[in-house]
Amino acid sequence: MAAVTAEIREAVVKRRGHPSSHGEARFGFAMIGLSVLFVAVFTAIPIVASLGLSFFSWDVISTPEYVGLKNYQRLFTDGPVLKSFGVTLGMALAIVVLQLTIGLGLAVLVNQRKLVWVRTLFRTTFYLPLLASTAAVSIFMGYLFDYKFGVVNYYLSLLGIPNVPWLTSGFGAAATIVLIAVWQQIGFTFVLFVASLMSVPTDVLEAAQIDGAGAMRTLFRIKIPLISPTILFAAVVALINAMQLFDQPYIMTKGGPGSATTTVTISMYQKGFQNLEFGYGSAIAIVLLAAILVITGLQFLAARKLVFYQ
Amino acid sequence: MTGIHPPGGSLARRTLLKAGAGGLGLAALADLAACSQDGGGSSKSLKMLYFGEQAQATELQNRLQPQIAKLDATIKFEISAINGTDWNDFLAKVLTQIAAGTPPDIISVATEGLQLMASKELAVPLDDYVTKDLDALKEYFADIHPALVESMMYQGHLWELPDSFNAGNMFYSTELFQRAGVVPPSADWTLDDFEAAATKIAKFKGINAFGWVVRLWGSWTSFMYANNANLLEEGKYDGGDWLWNKAYAGDAAATGRKGGWKWGAPTANSEATVEALNYMIELTKKGLSPSPDVGGGGTLQGLFASNRIGMSIGGGFWAGGLTNAGMKNGSFDVTMFPKWKSQRHLFGAGGYAIFKSSKKKDLAWEVLKLLVKPETFDLVFPGNVTTPGRKSLVTAARYAKTGPKHWSVFYDTLTKHPDTAPIPAPPYYNALATALNQRTTQAISSGNAKAALDGLQSDLEKAAGAS
Repeated sequence: MAAVTAEIREAVVKRRGHPSSHGEARFGFAMIGLSVLFVAVFTAIPIVASLGLSFFSWDVISTPEYVGLKNYQRLFTDGPVLKSFGVTLGMALAIVVLQLTIGLGLAVLVNQRKLVWVRTLFRTTFYLPLLASTAAVSIFMGYLFDYKFGVVNYYLSLLGIPNVPWLTSGFGAAATIVLIAVWQQIGFTFVLFVASLMSVPTDVLEAAQIDGAGAMRTLFRIKIPLISPTILFAAVVALINAMQLFDQPYIMTKGGPGSATTTVTISMYQKGFQNLEFGYGSAIAIVLLAAILVITGLQFLAARKLVFYQ
Repeated sequence: MTGIHPPGGSLARRTLLKAGAGGLGLAALADLAACSQDGGGSSKSLKMLYFGEQAQATELQNRLQPQIAKLDATIKFEISAINGTDWNDFLAKVLTQIAAGTPPDIISVATEGLQLMASKELAVPLDDYVTKDLDALKEYFADIHPALVESMMYQGHLWELPDSFNAGNMFYSTELFQRAGVVPPSADWTLDDFEAAATKIAKFKGINAFGWVVRLWGSWTSFMYANNANLLEEGKYDGGDWLWNKAYAGDAAATGRKGGWKWGAPTANSEATVEALNYMIELTKKGLSPSPDVGGGGTLQGLFASNRIGMSIGGGFWAGGLTNAGMKNGSFDVTMFPKWKSQRHLFGAGGYAIFKSSKKKDLAWEVLKLLVKPETFDLVFPGNVTTPGRKSLVTAARYAKTGPKHWSVFYDTLTKHPDTAPIPAPPYYNALATALNQRTTQAISSGNAKAALDGLQSDLEKAAGAS
């Protein structure tokens, strides 16, 4: 090991002396610089700007007025907005649990297929919804699940089942949106899990088989622990996405009925862009960001005990 | 009028310093945006914002350009379309565009946004321009119902020249009425007649007797108006005599007109308002009406055009809309909204205003006059997609191709029902519309109108307070 390190160091020293190395370094910095610029313009600056705006009252038209922490004080006493945090958390948890369990289940089933083309076919099929525009999917699903004219209720009626208020009752709307979000996002977790399951060392699986472990025991004691880092990654990404749920509820229910599907991002949009309270909308955005950071932190804390790194 | 700080004023600068680095940077951006409102388009172009598709806007721009060139040969007329599901959406996007530093010279604004725009002094009052050109405009005012003009006034000043409107009348499918054996409704039909017709039509499988949309214009709010109720206390601003005494002298329809509608304290949970919303819940429970969608009404119009809805609230814009959706002339008709405690209708009007930041206000005024000329109307609104504000344009010839047979109902709403009033659109219209949508869906899904409207009352009180 020490010899290898010494060789690398020698190569680097030689390389530094090479005339073209400075040009390469500049090229490298330029490439990194582009990424940094991209992140700065589209992520860092908007976040900082939003943080700044959250201390102002601004209706776009008038000059911004500094209000200190008033927007935050208002947020923590604003019942409907606080409720939207609860709605978001509930829907996000449901989405993450379903997305992970169904995604893992499908991945395990597909992984057992030996034929490569079968696996490819399933991977493609489950991934396709992810490629569709969420707005288009939401409009389409809105028609499918319409109470009176929807195709879903039409076929249910053929079975003698009365019309279901998919999008016109509080629980129905939330559940339908969760199911649609899961259906559309499941391709992502599914592909991750399939790839991860394929990387489980075969010698470990063979050893388990020789020791007499059955399929379920192998799954829960060998495969899941070995792919747990992937599960953690999928859980973190899925939760971050779910906490920002906007398109489906906004297009399908406008946050209703009542406020049953009013997520935090819808509250933020309503306050900012509809009610012209950009400062307050920004405060909601910052608190949502903080909430996501805290929840993600908790996930990583839990991962210390639950995730197994090889 | 509410005052606003001058962009970049010293007070603003002092307050900005308190914000720290992040806030300072952002607020500076905002301030820049506000300062750039002084621009009002480039010096060689006259910019107008239009609610619709860009293809239509470009077509309109090309049609009007030769006429604008007669006013000023060096000016290029540019119309930018803003797409949205409703006026709420349109307004939000307009304000974002203003914030981005690209305000227009002329803007087309409906009743929904008039008081917001006027209260924020985004536009200029047209009083002086109208007074200066009153002789030339007498023909225009003689042709425009004073109710439409009054709806474009705020705090005694005229902010827009109206060119169009839509009152909430009742459209019905003549085919479904015939199949159900229902006699076409007369203009003075009642709510009982309406329900009797709905009950007969609802017997057809897959057909809804009455369809509606959750929104401010032509929703359950039409029932509320017919029940002599409103979401806000009604009043009128003083003033406006400068216009009424000169432009409408001797016109009985102008009697009692003042300086614009003054929307007062919320009355969303008044007994009559609750009764109106309860009526809608009952219609749903009886199977006479499906749970409504929220928004612009495109789906509703499509369902009506495919003969799956017997009746719905529509204005003159439905004549063109239904025709464009494939309905044939004669397959639908229109009548007055049914009488409940009264036969009061609601309406929304459209018109044009001059942006305060425009550097070409005089030219913009000339364009405004051009836009409200009779010959311009069909350039702006081809195919009966709204009701002309000028009575002389509401003719049998106009509706010969599209229908409806009883097209005269559109203007008669204003002339025969003088208590007809604009939708309640105060300066905090956006917050009102958002709350109304939420609370209406809450009421329909829970079946409890009182609780939902108590909530709306609270929402509106907060919004009014903040405003």
